[in-house]
This record gives sequence, structure tokens and C-alpha cells, in this order.
Amino acid sequence: MINNAVAGNLTIYPISEGAVSIEFGNTIDDGISEHLNRFNRLLCEKPFEGMYQTVPAYTTLTIFYYPAVVIKSALPGNNGFDKVCNYLQQLNREDATTSFIPEGKLVHIPVYYGSKTGPDLDLVAALHQLTADEVIRLHSSAIYKVYMMGFIPGFAYLGGLPDLLETPRKTTPVKVPAGAVGIAGKQTGVYPLAVPGGWQIIGQTPVELFNSKREQPTLLNSGDRVKFEPISFNDFKNYSRE
Amino acid sequence: MKIRIIKPGLLTTIQDMGRVNHLAEAVPFSGAMDKLSAQIANLAVGNNTGDAVIEFTQNGAAFVAEDDALLAFSGDGAWLRNSENRLPADRPVFVPSGTELYLENNKSGNCSYLAVAGGWDVPEVLGSRSTYVTANFGGFNGRCLRENDELCNKELSNTIALSILTRLKGDTVRYPNWSIARELFLSADRKIIRVMKGREFNWFDDDPATGLFSESYTISHNSNRMGYHLQGPRITRALPGELLSTAVCPGTIQVTNNGDLIMLMADCQTTGGYPRIVQVAAVDLPLCAQLKPGDAIRFKEISWKEAEKLYIQQQHDLHKLALAIARKYD
Repeated sequence: MINNAVAGNLTIYPISEGAVSIEFGNTIDDGISEHLNRFNRLLCEKPFEGMYQTVPAYTTLTIFYYPAVVIKSALPGNNGFDKVCNYLQQLNREDATTSFIPEGKLVHIPVYYGSKTGPDLDLVAALHQLTADEVIRLHSSAIYKVYMMGFIPGFAYLGGLPDLLETPRKTTPVKVPAGAVGIAGKQTGVYPLAVPGGWQIIGQTPVELFNSKREQPTLLNSGDRVKFEPISFNDFKNYSRE
Repeated sequence: MKIRIIKPGLLTTIQDMGRVNHLAEAVPFSGAMDKLSAQIANLAVGNNTGDAVIEFTQNGAAFVAEDDALLAFSGDGAWLRNSENRLPADRPVFVPSGTELYLENNKSGNCSYLAVAGGWDVPEVLGSRSTYVTANFGGFNGRCLRENDELCNKELSNTIALSILTRLKGDTVRYPNWSIARELFLSADRKIIRVMKGREFNWFDDDPATGLFSESYTISHNSNRMGYHLQGPRITRALPGELLSTAVCPGTIQVTNNGDLIMLMADCQTTGGYPRIVQVAAVDLPLCAQLKPGDAIRFKEISWKEAEKLYIQQQHDLHKLALAIARKYD
């Protein structure tokens, strides 16, 4: 077993005794993301014995498994890591012959922009010499893609922010409420929980992005697409009461 | 079986083997910091290794048995005692109703575990009973235990636990003359932590330029269930480059932009963007869990192949231990 096994098309390396990552590339790219998500879909449909979870990120797919189960399986290989690698390489050869391209679901997220729930909207507008309304129009007209989930439960890293809105993050994080919609660099996202955050907050959604009591606890998943819909203060307030 | 918390201590939570099925939604593993001690406490009362236990941090906590209870205590964070005696760890202990127990400072490790026959009865949230305090879910109402919290066991259906209970039940604190040899699962020098090369290992200057394997590192006060900041020689870069966030897990050691090391622990985020210099061997994570601020450790490199073998052997040994206890009380 070596640290970096390259065979076929997949680059696979261990991150723990019970997890390997497959590297699909090294830049944020739609093609890489689609390949990764397609392979993930295939793997989840055909898991190997002992596998329990996969975690997609920007360019990597990480596969978690129980080594004590894998080692007893009939897969070829002298140790758990080799057995998992062999299985993934084999699946990759099958993958090359499949043609379906999975489309994540499109999720509409209502946002009340500005005022107390979007304290940094005016700052973002001023920085780019736009009006607040133009920022709202730009932010809510794009369709974003969930490249990965991370940071805190339910947090989605969204790509596709219009270049005009690219804004540096704050130097010191401040406490933000659950549902706060922020911008940082080329990214935008929604805070699922009240935590300290360094993103510029331009609005808030009344929708719950994470609820541990739901069977599907998160609103978003890797591969989904997102569109923000501006709503009025009344709609925001009434939605909150539901 | 019921206990009531008299004093909660520093940080006391319900944990199990972790929340493994929602990593893709950025829900962290959580679970016991020292999974070995948690499993041994469970095995000692005839439980499954994945039953819920109480995790205590250092000493200071106290509780009272409101009913007769079959308990087991394991770990290095404190000694368990009643008003008269220190109670032995790593074996079942029958405690009659009304007994007050507390955790006494032992000046050694960081965390200890209390198992009850049947496991502590808290609801499963997303497939686990572990507490994740940051998002307020799991365990006992999603929070640390407080004064007057009452905890009960799940209904005892397990024949091993019932058999242990039948043999120990009485009017006084009672325990058998056997115990689980926890030290046999741990290396002799508990301050040497075995690690494997991480994916970005060659982004950094090699030892001895960095001191990673030749100098010691100290656990800083800025350490918690999410991770430890380590103080020691700063790691310098051999190659420039930025890492795109990718999956990380407990035991991952990252290097921050100014060259400091962070060791990720049970409540760590599911993804991280700092380069990964080494990964702690899973069999040595229980040793890391027992480290306190101020403790110094050294790293020793082993191969990934060796690490996997050690881990599978440990799982195998725990399984054999469970079978031995089951046979004893059949």
C-alpha cells in the first residue's frame, strides 16, 4: 500500500484507516464537479461491503468504510485499502460506459434582503458602486451550484456568484443568526445555525437549512442548484410564524 | 436504574461511537473522544460497544444512584469513588440505591466514561446518541449535563448484563475480582503518538528542518472536543499552494498558514482547507483524547499498511473480549 495509488483514471489516497479520497482534479470546475457527483451516485447505488458514507468536496470524493468488514470481503487485495482501491477502479471502468448525468434538485430559497437582517447590504453595494437594489437583483438572478457541504451541519458552499459581487470577508467574525445569507470572496451561502461568521451578510431566509429532527436534516445537498427569491418583510415575518 | 447529577463537572456529555451517516451533510462524527475506554466501560457491564455512555472531562463531577445500578467506569480523567473508597475501573460495579459517587482528581488524563447496564436512555438523533453541543442536538437535550439532570438506563434485555447484575446484587457496593486489562490495548509510552504521512506531507520541509519527528509538541489551552492547537516548532513550507477544502476526520493534523499544527478531534468539521501533514493512527487516538493542556507529545511515523493492521487487530481484540465476557456470564 502506498500513499498515492494511481491506476486507471482514479487517483486514490488514504485519509484514515477507514477512509480514502479520490482526487478528480485540482481546480473548482463544473466538469470535475459533474464527474465527481456522477461517480458518487454510481458508488452509492453500488456500495462495497463495509462502506458507510461518502463525502463530496470541490475536487475530491471521500469514502468512509469499516476496515474490519472490508478485510473479510471477497474483494481482491491484501489489505483493506487495496481492496477498496480495486473496487473503486473497477467501478470507474464501468462508469466510463454509463452515460447518465445526474442533475441535482433546484431549490428556491426566499430571502429578505437588507435592513436589520442584511446589515452589510449597503456596504457591499457601496464597494461595487451599485445600488442595494442592483445587488439584490444580481444576487437573486444567478443560479448557484452546491459544490460541497462543510463547516457546520447544513452549510452549502455555493459557486456561481456574479463577478460584480465578489467581496472580501470581514476581518473579525461576528455572531450571525440562523438563515443569514452572506458573501465571501467568490462564494455565497446561508448560515444554517447561529454561529460566529466572517461573511458579509446581505439578507436572511426564513427557511430552515438544518433540522436534526428531520429524516433528511439538510435543505441542500452536494450537486443541488440554488436560486434565491427576494421576498418582502411581511412575507419574511409571516413565513417565520408558520 | 437511575442516577441524578449532583455536580456536572467541567464538560459532561452523553456520547457513543459517533454519528457516521450524515457526514455528507456536514454533520460531524462526534462520539467519545477516547473510544477505547468508552467501549471497555460498555463491555464491562455486558453492553454492546456502541451503547451510550457518559463522558466526563477531568474531575469534579458527582452523582447519586437513585436506584440500584450496575455501572462501569473507564478512562484516565479521574478516579471514581464513594465516601469511603476508590472504586475499581474497567469492571462492573454494583451500586445500591442512595450511593453518592464522585470523580476524584488523579492528575493523569483528560476523560473518563460511565456505562450503565443497558446503556443510557436518550433518544437517537440522526442515528446516534452522541451530543453535538455546537448545534444543540443529540445526547441529553443536545447539551452538557447539569445539576439535577436524571439519567436512566434502557430496559435491560441483554442476558449478559442481567447475569452480571444477578451475581453482584446486594446491599453494598460490590464488584467481581476480574477486570479488563485496558493497558494491553495501549502502547507503553503514552506520549509517543504514531502518525502516517498525510496527502500534503511533501508540501512541507522535511525533518530535521521542521522538527516534526525530533521535537516535542505541547497541547495548548486553546483545545477542546473539536481539536487541539499544538505548540512546538513551526512547520515551514517547501512548496507553495492552496488546498481546496476536502474531507477531514478525527486524527487529521493540519498546518495553519503561519505553520502551527492543529490536531482534529471528535467534534471536528467534516471538511477543512488547511494542508494535512500527518494523520494520527486510529489506535493512538485514545491516547490523544487523554491529553490535557500542557502535556507534551512526540510523533513517530508508521506506514499506512501498519496502521490499518493495528486498527483491525484492535477491533478483533475487542471482539474477542466481548466473547470472553459473554462466555463467563453465559
